[in-house]
Amino acid sequence: MIFDVSHKTHYRYSSAVVQSQHLVHMKPRTVTRQTMRHHGLIVEPAPAMRYEGFDAFGNPVAILDVEVPHREFVLHARSTIETALPQQIAFESTTPWDALDVELEAEPRRRDLDIIQYRCMSPVTTASLEILDYARHSFAAGRPVLEAAMDLSQRIYEDFRFDATATDVSTPIAHVFKVRRGVCQDFAHLALAALRALRVPARYVSGYILTRPAPGQPKLQGTDASHAWISVWSPETGWRDFDPTNGIAVADEHITIAHGRDYNDVCPISGVLLGGGEHTVSVGVDVSTVSPLGRG
Amino acid sequence: MNYTAPSLAEGGNDLLESYCTSPGCGYDELLDPVEGVRPRWLGVLNSFTELSTAELEQRAARIDRRVRETGIAYDIFADPLTPSQRWQLDLMPIVIASGEWRWLEKALIQRARLCDALLTDLYGAQDTMRSGLVPPELVFSDSAFLRPCKDILPKAGPLRFYAADLARTADGHWRVIDSHTETLAGIGFALANRVVHTHVAGDLFKRNNAVRLSTYFQNLQIALTAHSGRDNARIALLTPGPHHEDYFSHTYLARYLGFLLVEGSDLRTRGNRVYLKTLEGLKEIDLIVRCVDGRLIDPLELDPTGFEGPAGLLRVCRGTPRLVVNAVGSAIVQNRGLGPYLPRLARELLGEELELPDAPRWWLGDAAARRHVLENLDGLIVRKAQEGTGRPGQAALGKDAHTMSAAERELLRREIELYGARFVAEEKIGFSVAPAFDPMGFSRRPFAVRFFVARTADGFEVMPGGLAMSVDPERAVALSAPDGHTRDVWVLSDEEQSPHVSLWRPKLESARVERSQRVIQSRVADDLFWLGRYSERADWTMRVLRGALRRVEEDSGPADGWRAARTCLEMLLRNAEAPARSVRETPLDMQIERLCARLITGNAGPRTLEKTCEGLYRVAHLARDRLSFEGWQTLSKFRPGDTWLTSLGPAQPVELLDLLEGGLASLAAFNGLMHENMTRNFGWSFLDMGRRLERAYNLCEAIQTLFIPASDAEEETSRLLLLLELADSFITYRSRYRLDPSLPLVLDLLLLDESNPRALAYQLAAISTHLETLPDARQGVSLASDRRLILTLMTSIRLADVVAIADEPSRTTLGRLMREQLQLLPELSNAVAQHYFNLTEDAPHRVQTRSDPRP
Repeated sequence: MIFDVSHKTHYRYSSAVVQSQHLVHMKPRTVTRQTMRHHGLIVEPAPAMRYEGFDAFGNPVAILDVEVPHREFVLHARSTIETALPQQIAFESTTPWDALDVELEAEPRRRDLDIIQYRCMSPVTTASLEILDYARHSFAAGRPVLEAAMDLSQRIYEDFRFDATATDVSTPIAHVFKVRRGVCQDFAHLALAALRALRVPARYVSGYILTRPAPGQPKLQGTDASHAWISVWSPETGWRDFDPTNGIAVADEHITIAHGRDYNDVCPISGVLLGGGEHTVSVGVDVSTVSPLGRG
Repeated sequence: MNYTAPSLAEGGNDLLESYCTSPGCGYDELLDPVEGVRPRWLGVLNSFTELSTAELEQRAARIDRRVRETGIAYDIFADPLTPSQRWQLDLMPIVIASGEWRWLEKALIQRARLCDALLTDLYGAQDTMRSGLVPPELVFSDSAFLRPCKDILPKAGPLRFYAADLARTADGHWRVIDSHTETLAGIGFALANRVVHTHVAGDLFKRNNAVRLSTYFQNLQIALTAHSGRDNARIALLTPGPHHEDYFSHTYLARYLGFLLVEGSDLRTRGNRVYLKTLEGLKEIDLIVRCVDGRLIDPLELDPTGFEGPAGLLRVCRGTPRLVVNAVGSAIVQNRGLGPYLPRLARELLGEELELPDAPRWWLGDAAARRHVLENLDGLIVRKAQEGTGRPGQAALGKDAHTMSAAERELLRREIELYGARFVAEEKIGFSVAPAFDPMGFSRRPFAVRFFVARTADGFEVMPGGLAMSVDPERAVALSAPDGHTRDVWVLSDEEQSPHVSLWRPKLESARVERSQRVIQSRVADDLFWLGRYSERADWTMRVLRGALRRVEEDSGPADGWRAARTCLEMLLRNAEAPARSVRETPLDMQIERLCARLITGNAGPRTLEKTCEGLYRVAHLARDRLSFEGWQTLSKFRPGDTWLTSLGPAQPVELLDLLEGGLASLAAFNGLMHENMTRNFGWSFLDMGRRLERAYNLCEAIQTLFIPASDAEEETSRLLLLLELADSFITYRSRYRLDPSLPLVLDLLLLDESNPRALAYQLAAISTHLETLPDARQGVSLASDRRLILTLMTSIRLADVVAIADEPSRTTLGRLMREQLQLLPELSNAVAQHYFNLTEDAPHRVQTRSDPRP
């Protein structure tokens, strides 16, 4: 499928910001099942310095340094991305999760640091002993790794409630686990903590998801949103994505922007401001499909 | 134990007798079990035992005193609000012979080279991880491994600072128990210890031909200046601030090397440079000597909660990788888990055998090691693999399964299984023992030493000395020394030592570095301004209290100023809540005593002596790197919890008068020291402006309170006497007029006389002079509001006609004059703050968006 994504973020500050610096992850990266066709980022006011490159995880990143005093700040990213369905494979035929050690400690994979680094817990995905126990229910001895990952994603979907008011950016997963509520990045973090507690390679994916209006309703503008899910590694498939917020394996309606160990590595916009006082932010995301012949 | 000491001086044997009978095991630094006193100790031991016991005790006491005065110990430099580590320095040093030192130097330098090579690889090609020399999961599980620094650190040039904690095991071999690659690891403590110790035992130091430290620090200073790439470099030592346990070391070192001491909020990035926010605007920084955790140095790209450096620093480092030393990210190689892998790494990276290995240790991320440890948990200590360096002696003790309940042990096992990659297990090693001095003689105390290595022009160089700390071998496996007993380390030389060169008096080449100290950060100006205000406020409050108590205690009647005293006390308590019951019915002298008690301790508003002292100590604490050690000492009375402060409350009026005299004397000493010793830079201007502003305000308030409305003649005389006393102008008045005080003359002396340092006009003129010299005075166009205000205040006073004012029965004009001053002076204070202290640029904060899609 081909998607057009418009992602607009508008900050308003109660007093002038003297300097603001932003680290932006908005340019979708190219991954196995996805090609980035076009991307543009408009920044207002214009930054004094704009650095574009790649972060430590290979994601495109922009660093902006705005030096003029301002009371509003707008970032508008437009991207066109083509996604394909992942390779069809029965999850039951993947390597047992407890045999991954053997796979990853043998040549040539033991040299593949890009897999091994995702086996390790980052500070925000550090599992508690309770989360380890929760994970073990899905990961019985000898169970194929992707089958178990699918099971874990579905259990999180069933056991936890989506509640944007229950948590914020800094809520630790131990709390999410306790109140059984949260948003997509909480569920992604929880799943990652559970997987990494068992040393299964798993990474955090930040991106967009196509939402469909209720039957008979027109699709509203600006109602889509950024989304977060996880990716799990198996020798048979490489990285394969799961969405614990929706309890599904990802097909071709998820658009990857970036991946890393957790939210902190790939947060869409993170800024440090001097001045500014209170701020409000409005975010509008539109994801629309494009037919090969024209916009549909 | 048998020992033979043929050349030992008379009396030494008594000290040794107690040493031999004191408990202790492990390697004995002083005595060989067969040969007796080891040769390296003979000279040193002799020079100590030659002295009489009384002399030794005296010297030990002098060390204690110097430690306190220097501020290594808690009572001066530590944060008043947190309990702190004690610090003692033993009279007896640890002695290392030249032969052993040459070996240690070589071995420590090899360790530094190894750390350097490993860092370059981990943040560059990462071959050591790919080839399995270093377990990748060890590195990736450590939050000190900062991925954004990849490809930046290798361009930063070699590691600049390395430190290692060493212990000597029972078989006499040195082993590394911890490595420090993140910051300077408290080298300032070692330096301060040496300065104190040579002050007391310098003669013995010299006679034993021990090596001095100054050459090392000089080389360090030269090397850092060279590294910055600029001759007159502006070098900043970046500290987390006064709350940090290592702050003493930072201030001491910054002063010694002549670097600027800055905090994260003093800096900002702009384009590809880092700037210091000063009174004169932004000043470019050429080199940052990092004493903060790398993880917390850039909230933009690293830990979003870390504001110990300026946001965007890493972005700047991409273009200027040599800007920060040690380079950000360097802490990863101090991970304890690396210990077992170092011998192979040395062979592969350096092509050498590792001279100085770690003490036995297992990284619990390794499955085989984990199994071994879980099977042998009893004899081992489990600790974090990565621990911040912090203050020497504060390594965590770790978990000792031996002392745990069954449930706790089970929990520990489960945690090892889950978080193994972040833990190590260590064997308890025997620490060696060496003589510690106490009046009963020498006793055996086990210790470990921190040695410091720095990169200088000729490669790595080891500081010829170290910081030895006593440890408890039953519990410690690292430099964990909660009782803070330290010893200097003497490295004996075979060669003649050149005379002492101190960096306190820099040579011409290094003097240019010193000059940058005159730059004043806006934050420091703010602190000094308030230091001036609080010291004057404390002085005034104590004068009011003294004036009131004197009148009550001295044998006199109510007419002699009792009412005046009560009025003044009530003035300072004006905004306080009324006392529980009316005091009006009690006799006047008792009222005064009660008011005094409220003004001292009660929670009676912001102007009580206790609150004022608290404020005074707090700002002095914040500005303490700008104060001399002596200046600090004079303020120690005002430290919360000090006996002076705590005895104020329960004291009887007579004792109280003595205490107040003591307090006033300390403040006078502080002000005198500041006045005599502080360079007349902008910092001085703010300190002095703060004091002048406070004094002007207090004086106007007192005049308004005491003379409006007018009282009868007798009462007015006693009020005039009190005012003269409060304003410390009684003698001036008497020598000038030889008359009983009269209002016009007193007002002339205290309001208009610009030559009287206690007069209002003098304060205003001084403030005006300071404002004129400060930078950024907009010339020509319109006056800044601070300048406009001071002009208004001065003009209004200069135009006043005191004779007419005093004669006016209604005192309307005097009232208007004082009200104007009392209203505009606080406005002036605010205007100065707004102009100079960067209120618009409040603390940087972080903004993140969160994705909240509907499911």
